[in-house]
Amino acid sequence: MIDRSGLYRLTWRLPLLLWQGAFFVVPLCFMAAMTFWLVQNYRMEPAFVWTNWQRMLGRAVFWDAYWVTLWRAALAGLIASVVAFPASYVLAFRMGEAGRRFVLLCLIVPFFTSFLVRAYAWQVILAESGPVNAVLGGVGLGPFTMLNSSFGTMVGYLTLVLPLVVIFQTWSLAAIDRALIEAAWNLGATPVKTLLRVILPAARTGLLLGAVFAFIMSFGDFVSPAYLGGSKPPTLSILIIDTTKSGQQWPRAAVVSVMMIVTLFATAAAALRLAYGRRG
Amino acid sequence: MTDPTPTPLVQFRGVRKLYGSAIAVKSLDLDIGRGEFVALMGPSGCGKTTTLRMLAGLETPTAGSITIGGKLMNDVPAHQRDTPLVWQSLALFPFLSVVENVEFGLRMRGVAAGERRSRAMMWLERMGLQGFEARRIDQLSGGQRQRVALARSLVTEPEMLLLDEPLSALDAHLVIRMQGVLTKLQRELGITFVYVTHSHSEAFAMADRVVIMGHGEIEQIGAPREIFRTPRSRFVAEFVGRNNIIAGVVAGGILSSEHGAFPIAAPDGSAEIVVAADTVTVLRAPPEAGPAVKVAFLSEEFAGTGIICYFEAADGSEFKAQVTEEQLADLQPEPGAAFWLSWDPARVHVMGG
Amino acid sequence: MRRAGDLLGAIYLVALFVFVFAPIAASVVFSFNSDRFPTLPLGSFTTDWYARAFSRPELWEAIANSLLVAAVTSVLATFIGFATAYTDFRYGFRFKQAYLALALLPPTMPLVIMGLAMLAWLSQLGLSGTLRGIIIAHTVLATPFAMAICRLRLSQMDTTLEAAAWNLGAGQWGAMRHVILPFCAPAIVSSLCLTAAVSFDEFIVAWFVSGLNRTVPVMILEILQGNVDPQINAIGSVVFLTSMTLVVLAQLMIFRRRRHD
Repeated sequence: MIDRSGLYRLTWRLPLLLWQGAFFVVPLCFMAAMTFWLVQNYRMEPAFVWTNWQRMLGRAVFWDAYWVTLWRAALAGLIASVVAFPASYVLAFRMGEAGRRFVLLCLIVPFFTSFLVRAYAWQVILAESGPVNAVLGGVGLGPFTMLNSSFGTMVGYLTLVLPLVVIFQTWSLAAIDRALIEAAWNLGATPVKTLLRVILPAARTGLLLGAVFAFIMSFGDFVSPAYLGGSKPPTLSILIIDTTKSGQQWPRAAVVSVMMIVTLFATAAAALRLAYGRRG
Repeated sequence: MTDPTPTPLVQFRGVRKLYGSAIAVKSLDLDIGRGEFVALMGPSGCGKTTTLRMLAGLETPTAGSITIGGKLMNDVPAHQRDTPLVWQSLALFPFLSVVENVEFGLRMRGVAAGERRSRAMMWLERMGLQGFEARRIDQLSGGQRQRVALARSLVTEPEMLLLDEPLSALDAHLVIRMQGVLTKLQRELGITFVYVTHSHSEAFAMADRVVIMGHGEIEQIGAPREIFRTPRSRFVAEFVGRNNIIAGVVAGGILSSEHGAFPIAAPDGSAEIVVAADTVTVLRAPPEAGPAVKVAFLSEEFAGTGIICYFEAADGSEFKAQVTEEQLADLQPEPGAAFWLSWDPARVHVMGG
Repeated sequence: MRRAGDLLGAIYLVALFVFVFAPIAASVVFSFNSDRFPTLPLGSFTTDWYARAFSRPELWEAIANSLLVAAVTSVLATFIGFATAYTDFRYGFRFKQAYLALALLPPTMPLVIMGLAMLAWLSQLGLSGTLRGIIIAHTVLATPFAMAICRLRLSQMDTTLEAAAWNLGAGQWGAMRHVILPFCAPAIVSSLCLTAAVSFDEFIVAWFVSGLNRTVPVMILEILQGNVDPQINAIGSVVFLTSMTLVVLAQLMIFRRRRHD
């Protein structure tokens, strides 16, 4: 029997276990199990065969998509980090506490607004006859084809991840003890050397976490490559959707998913080691 | 070295520092000699740290001039000066090893890898830290970190070392030891130490000269003993502590105050006198001759050099007297018990002289 | 020199903000613009796209679906999130690390994968294609945000407060009702807003499991798969307005409690 205090404790502890167990852990496990099932007459049947794995991993389409996705997500992490850094630097070192907090609050807002509509807006802005080309045409440039290219995809990725990367970087930069920076000047470090030798190492954890989040979000994003990148070449997320929606081949889509999860975990583990681990 | 040498290393002339409209340093004129150990002392907000930071180039004076070795330094950025500072927080780089911290200054000056490593190792050895070079900062004790910070600052062999309350984070027993280390180091190296502190014991124990600052101005400069025995103002007398201050009017060699009339060697007019706690005698009955103030006992405090007894006079003002343990046992004071305080009129200091 | 650097820095920051907020602003501007393919200079002002979009009965149906899903999701996610935050705040137990990982992991999972896993599992349960299915999936996604907000609030609470209530004779439930819940009220409201916004904007998982019961973002997605249609801007502007209102409300609650404490 459960006594009163045990009941109280379970009331708060169980909801998460039940809900996320039944609707987060179990679905993912089920998906992993599904990779071994058979599809016959558009219906899944429990089985234990390696057919789906062989079919997916044996196709060049999969590996092309895999490397494209990996490469683009890594590039997005890098570009987002580089683009965000000057802004984070200004926020952390050239702005007061109140101003910084206000700007960061503003940056949280886009994270909770429809990315789909934002991607559509980019479609219009970057179109062949859109506003950007109109402005460029006004000074005798262009028109440039910006949509349905890796450029378009990258614009989408950056729209998605930049606010978060700025927030991570600003947090870690603002947390640096000012005395460390002054100590570097005091010991003869020029501003550039101070940046390279003191500020970057001191903010390492936040900078890496920002890059990793940018990577993870871009790696899984489907909107940017599909609606701004023109689905050519397809990324893993596009592959999953195509395989699921048109082919009714859920087990094969599940194979792609499992490969993605494994990749994400490996990357995240490596990055966390790098971020928190000892140097050298 | 009580007096600055003929060619002082550092000269502040009419230096002023404002933050917006807030005055940090009002107007500062100060010479610091070569090889001198100077302590800048004062309550928080008195401008002592700002003064030190201006010397290091971390703040720019609003007005006036600062010269080091005869060269005007106002617009020389921090990284082009050789004025290493030891921070209160030490500001050791947590992402670098001990030896990498120490060689940082040499690395920034482009010293070749082999040479900077051997010079850093030499300083680690000198500070008794051999064997610790590969450690991370968070693997060191407080005292060890202190010595790493010193080594890091001294490795470039500067003419002058700045210290901003470097001992305030240490345990009491370590403070005394580090005071010894610092004094010895300064004597051996023969370089200038400018030491900011709010602790009298640190300043008086180590410095050749003490600069007392208050409200952005210098209140008094002098040798520790001079400041302790002959404070120039009430501010200094109160800040230095262990002093009884009596204000009154002098007429014909007699000071009339709320606590009574005492003989005094001072010209007529209003005056403030200082009676140091260690010159006060505590009596159970009024003395037959000499000055006396009737007080009620409040409490005692064990200090390093004796016991300080606190008393309250009739008007509520506080008096202090230093006694030995034997004397305390003799007196057996109870809170509220009546005593008389007396002193040797010859040892009284008249302020404003 | 420092002045020039500051100016450059400010310009850079503004440029980054323009990039991040350009699509939101553009969407609103284009929604009132007469051109089907907007460019510069802009066409004339019109509310035509709104009129057309909102005359579609299926949009109203989608709005009703979205509101229902967001409302139920926010209540469920906030309850589970609060319970989890309280458990973390109050109790230590074996496998707590794993418990917290379970609480915070879902947002790191790519939505496409969540969509597929949900679709497959909910089909097994016979819930695929229903609003209940979408609510289940959105609760999974939104709970970590609710947990984070409530945990943040609890960490500002004096740990002796609850014990003091027991000491004064309140039972466990009494202390919860009279001390902890009132203290967490701003966080709970804030969490309701934020989780509603998460649900209101989510379209990938919803698209996988929704079937014929479309939510607003799913409808946008399906229009988008057709052709360029400025109705999306009109619908999108309304969606932006809704979710931004919810997020700003959530932030105001957090901000207000900062000022009070």
